[in-house]
Amino acid sequence: MSKTTSIARLRVNGDLREVGVPTHYTLLETLRYVLALTGTKQGCDKGDCGACTVIVDGAPTLSCLTPVWEAEDRDIITVEGLAGPDGPHPLQDEFDLNGAAQCGFCTPGILCSAAALLARTSSPTRNEIQEALAGNLCRCTGYAKIYDAVESAGRRLSVSKEATG
Amino acid sequence: MSTKGANLKSDWHLIGSSMRKIEGLAKSTGRAVYTDDVTFPGMLHGKILRSPHPHARIVAIDTSRAEQLDGVQAVITGRDLPIQYGIIPWTPDEYPLCVDRVRYIGDGVAAVAAVDEDTANEALALIEVEYEELPAFFDPHDAERADGSTPYVHDARKDGWNGNITKMVKLEFGDIEGGMDSADVVVEGDYFFEGTTHAPIEPHCAIGQWDGVGKLTVWSATQVPHYLHRELARVLELDQAQVRVRQPLVGGAFGGKSEPFDLEFCVAKLAMMTGRPVKILYTREEVFYSHRGRHPFHMHYRTGATADGRLTSVDAKILLDGGAYASFGLVTTYYSGQLLCAPYDMPAYRFDSTRVYTNKPACGPKRGHGSVQPRFAFEVQIDKLAEHVELDPIEFRRRNFIGEHTKTVNELRVTSNGFLECLSSVEAASGWSEKFRNMPFGRGIGIAGSTYISGTNYPIYPNEMPQSAVQMQIDRSGRVAVFSGASEIGQGCDSVVAYIAAEELGVPLEWVRVLRGDTDFTPVDLGAYSSRVTFMLGNAAIDAATRLKKLVQSSVAKAWDVKPSEVLLAGGAALWAHDTGRQMSIVEAFHLAEAEHGTLGATGWYNTPKDVHGEYRGGTIGASPAYSFTSHVAEVEVDIDTGFVDVKKIWIAHDCGRALNPVLVEGQMEGSAYMGAAEAIMEEHVFKDGDHGRAGLHNAPSLLDYRIPTSLDTPELQSLIVESIDPEGPYGAKEAGEGPLHPSIPAIANAIYDAIGVRMDRLPFTPPNVWRAIQRAREAGTLAKPSAPANATANPPLSETVQAD
Amino acid sequence: MLRLPPYQYHRPGSVAEAVALMAEHGDDAMYVSGGTDLVPNMKHRLFEPGHLIALKGIDELKGIEELPGENGDGGVLRIGAAETLTAVSAKPHVRELFPALAEAAAHVAGPQLRNAGTIGGNVCLDTRCTYYNQTHFWREALGFCLKKDGEVCHVTRTGKKCVAAHSADTPPVLMTLGASAVLTGPSGSREVLISEFFVADGIVNTRRATDEILTEIRIPLASATRRQAYMKLRQRKSIDFPLLTVAVAADLDENDAVRTIDGVVTGLGSRPRALSKWAEVAAGRTLDDALIDELSERAYKQCHPLENIIVDPEWRRAMVPVYVRRALEHVAGA
Ligand SMILES: Cc1cc2nc3c(=O)[nH]c(=O)nc-3n(C[C@H](O)[C@H](O)[C@H](O)COP(=O)(O)OP(=O)(O)OC[C@H]3O[C@@H](n4cnc5c(N)ncnc54)[C@H](O)[C@@H]3O)c2cc1C
Ligand code: SF4
Ligand code: FES
Ligand code: FES
Repeated sequence: MSKTTSIARLRVNGDLREVGVPTHYTLLETLRYVLALTGTKQGCDKGDCGACTVIVDGAPTLSCLTPVWEAEDRDIITVEGLAGPDGPHPLQDEFDLNGAAQCGFCTPGILCSAAALLARTSSPTRNEIQEALAGNLCRCTGYAKIYDAVESAGRRLSVSKEATG
Repeated sequence: MSTKGANLKSDWHLIGSSMRKIEGLAKSTGRAVYTDDVTFPGMLHGKILRSPHPHARIVAIDTSRAEQLDGVQAVITGRDLPIQYGIIPWTPDEYPLCVDRVRYIGDGVAAVAAVDEDTANEALALIEVEYEELPAFFDPHDAERADGSTPYVHDARKDGWNGNITKMVKLEFGDIEGGMDSADVVVEGDYFFEGTTHAPIEPHCAIGQWDGVGKLTVWSATQVPHYLHRELARVLELDQAQVRVRQPLVGGAFGGKSEPFDLEFCVAKLAMMTGRPVKILYTREEVFYSHRGRHPFHMHYRTGATADGRLTSVDAKILLDGGAYASFGLVTTYYSGQLLCAPYDMPAYRFDSTRVYTNKPACGPKRGHGSVQPRFAFEVQIDKLAEHVELDPIEFRRRNFIGEHTKTVNELRVTSNGFLECLSSVEAASGWSEKFRNMPFGRGIGIAGSTYISGTNYPIYPNEMPQSAVQMQIDRSGRVAVFSGASEIGQGCDSVVAYIAAEELGVPLEWVRVLRGDTDFTPVDLGAYSSRVTFMLGNAAIDAATRLKKLVQSSVAKAWDVKPSEVLLAGGAALWAHDTGRQMSIVEAFHLAEAEHGTLGATGWYNTPKDVHGEYRGGTIGASPAYSFTSHVAEVEVDIDTGFVDVKKIWIAHDCGRALNPVLVEGQMEGSAYMGAAEAIMEEHVFKDGDHGRAGLHNAPSLLDYRIPTSLDTPELQSLIVESIDPEGPYGAKEAGEGPLHPSIPAIANAIYDAIGVRMDRLPFTPPNVWRAIQRAREAGTLAKPSAPANATANPPLSETVQAD
Repeated sequence: MLRLPPYQYHRPGSVAEAVALMAEHGDDAMYVSGGTDLVPNMKHRLFEPGHLIALKGIDELKGIEELPGENGDGGVLRIGAAETLTAVSAKPHVRELFPALAEAAAHVAGPQLRNAGTIGGNVCLDTRCTYYNQTHFWREALGFCLKKDGEVCHVTRTGKKCVAAHSADTPPVLMTLGASAVLTGPSGSREVLISEFFVADGIVNTRRATDEILTEIRIPLASATRRQAYMKLRQRKSIDFPLLTVAVAADLDENDAVRTIDGVVTGLGSRPRALSKWAEVAAGRTLDDALIDELSERAYKQCHPLENIIVDPEWRRAMVPVYVRRALEHVAGA
């Protein structure tokens, strides 16, 4: 089979992008090397580590196992898309405040898993957090500070939800 | 500056408080740049062809078909890079690509640069290598016994020597046998520490760029840019001044990126040949082959103690399985013995360590280099001794406390020492006295202690120059630029220099910019290894900042007609100590100083004390300006039907001297304890044998089968910071990055014993291994809760002998 | 990166279209659903199809709903093959009727994989082996093996048979619930009991023809009254494939005596093993310690794990009665 290229229509972080992509590319390769969205990381390239996690239609998904065509016509959010015009997502800020990112290489994937969790419930139990992050390996932190950060961010989100609605 | 960097006042504004990391938000928003995030127009992609044989002679390599493939720009083999290198200057035994012999499955033999990775892979498949297979060594005992009838892993340096032996160290202090004779109890045991690997989540990556006329730039995920800089120049036959190493942020290292690797030389050479930037990104499988992880250790310990629980003599024999290359092995062999002599007083100590080559990926330094394995064995030995003399194991440890401002039996100088406080913190926090030998069968609690260096007094290559330096420059805007050559691998060293600059110069933290990771404009720091960075870089930063501070103080003092020492710089202002109502903005103060002294810039540096070690061969190895101390209590639940060990919680008390930023220190403590627990209960870096497929083949080079704990497998971790305030550390600080790993493993082993009465003297404590040990204990009738020590409650803690001051 | 071999990706809108695409490309094509098994396998060059026919976008393969019974049987719960494991485990319907299935689905791999991986893919999962699920480089250094590119089996050390392990979590539960799979190919549809779907051949361990699509799983609603248990042995609490999976389902009468009981284990050989002679031994007895002992002992005798998975086979064997016992205790206590 020889290599061919086609046009992929991707909705990433709200932007509609049409790009030429070799047909055998994964979503991860497309994000990183075609769209230059290098925030999403690669640690194993075969589903074992979670570093490449992005949010597809609300669900944390491993971009290294996703053929790029499977991501067409869906809403893709990467770590770059978590922050809004008002500044970083509370999770991003709390990760910094709590020292939840050491080397930071697992962080984008973990943030995507955690953001999807907090979108479901802003006051998850510790066990729910552990379950939600159970597909994201972190080699630096021992996870403790990550839990703290997710909990604090959840609290901030509940407060702002109450305030607005 | 002098070696006395400590500044013992405690009214700092920033130091000691929880602060953001300077690159924290960049990391959490995806802006942080790691090596593989860097690309260049026209960049080529490289791949390395690896040996499918554990030991073979390269008879011939034919690259012609690969060269002809469309899209291939260059192909190299070992002959293109014929100069050997090695991180330790005395043991260069590696070529960037093998020249005539391959020594493990995965050893590099050729490399290509092509328009994309797919083409590079296709080209690799077209390279024909003719090998002549050689018998191989996999078991370190076989390697040690080898008689030369088959080729050694490396040719012997002298006729009649065993070429498989990389290093032998025998050191003896005090009267070993006398000590054993005077002991009331001698415990003897064999221990085995299985190899483990670092598994940083970021795979190694490097990019080479050649400007066509004489300047080479290499970007790399390395934790030792300075050593890489030197070796690149040597191997590529360039002047060091022609080479520039740039270090983007590093996505985890733990010792796994602390020497040059084949990919760095290959991208450099391929870039020089093609005139185009070349990137190589390891696959996860290649990360496992490059390894340099923890050596498997076969250890034998004999330890004597008196009936009242004082150590009399320690005797160790250790065989280190080094894998195919020397790496840091010379140092590892020394560390296997040298770092055991604290925090306990040992009247007599001997170790006899041998490191051998085997045909497996090379071992090297992993977090707690060389000393994690003996610490495991020794802390279990202590637990056994305490049981024999019927003492609570914490009490046993207290009784043997070496003290502070003292010397170890192997003549290492110990300054501050908060070990006793570590013991009492974990004892209290864990509820030790209610739990020890007192929980129901299957649940248990264990203790262990340890020490580690805050950097080494002697650099890897002999020289008298500073070990660490920074340059600081003040701008008229008030912005402070810090040029730091230290390696940010997640531990926070870029932030530490920023905290220090802000603290000393009185500017808000946000005004400090750290310019980093580039050998072209940052002064030399030797690298992120042996926990040297905070101590040495911190002192260098204080040195630079104080020089600038003095200039500012003197100008302000002149303007106010007061003494310079009365001028404080803090909170964005210069203030008069006697009446802080008298103040000016820090920017104004900087303007005064710049007008008076010219542009404000300073360098600062740190060099280690050189006169504080034993006068014997090897006496300098293990010598550190300061030692950290740690104690852990681990609580476990053992499922005796399955062998699963559930580590419920680890209490981590660590004497880091002073916590410059407690959040960072806790992060290091938790990460270390996590990694130790992982090595205890699940990790094993192992290989197939002849009965299982093919000998020497990596068992499972993936993050699926080399299991590291998920969130659900990680114990609860509680950090207890102990601050002993070291006289020479920056603000009294010592290391926190590696020490806190050591006790996790023996604490878990001791907790398993407390839970079910089964000694685990061989790692790892995976369910099958624990289950087998339980089966044996069941047959022997020893599967039961051990009894409580008779002297535990009868003997109140000997507080008069244990108080440090 | 671990590159994928080149392929064309097809996204048919219907089962018929998918089957037609398969007919067009023949041996050079494979179906893909969540891709969580196939993509890593392709990266390892275990499969190099030139065409991937995607099933996930086909509406006919979606949905979890009750279908009324025909000719007096009690109806079935239909689960579309392209439903994700997350959906299967979270769906209240499944949780209420078939809690063991919800549990099994919730214990596959890690959370992100369950968001992509489907139940159809789980049932069709390729077998696994330490000598097989490796990169091309690794397998070449090994000298390949019978299942792919080579001549010998490194587990049995003969050239005759592949014993790679069936490693999927949901089929044992589906078997104890009497579920079936609907397969649709060029010549129409057929329904096969999951208990008859697997064959003892590690190379291809199902009766699905390569051009057939598994369109749905059907579980008799009558099975909802059964007491069910599912247990999984793995070293980590997430991500890892099973080293052993045990499913048990039992019908008890009003006096808690066993009417029928089924046990299935997998993670050992090439197909899930239905534990034999359980019903005979247990019928009419209450699930007390003695019976649980007897049944666990029977399970132990029937299971002989091999070194197809890298974890100590003797230990894995010893875990069979332990996990069977735990599953039975769950059923007895439920
Ligand atoms: C790190 C990791 C851990 C894992 N752990 C587990 C685990 O613990 N337990 C477990 O059971 N699995 C595990 N898996 C495997 C896999 O994720 C799941 O089994 C998943 O359910 C597979 O579904 P899929 O839709 O992704 O299958 P795919 O990869 O899409 O397909 C798998 C195979 O089935 C075929 N196929 C798929 N759907 C159909 C269909 N409808 N009709 C016909 N053929 C079809 C494909 O052609 C392919 O051959 C793991 C995978 C990874 C990467
Ligand atoms: S069981 Fe044998 S033939 Fe099958 S995959 Fe494993 S080694 Fe290959
Ligand atoms: S890179 Fe995708 S899971 Fe590791
Ligand atoms: S912060 Fe380094 S891997 Fe998680």
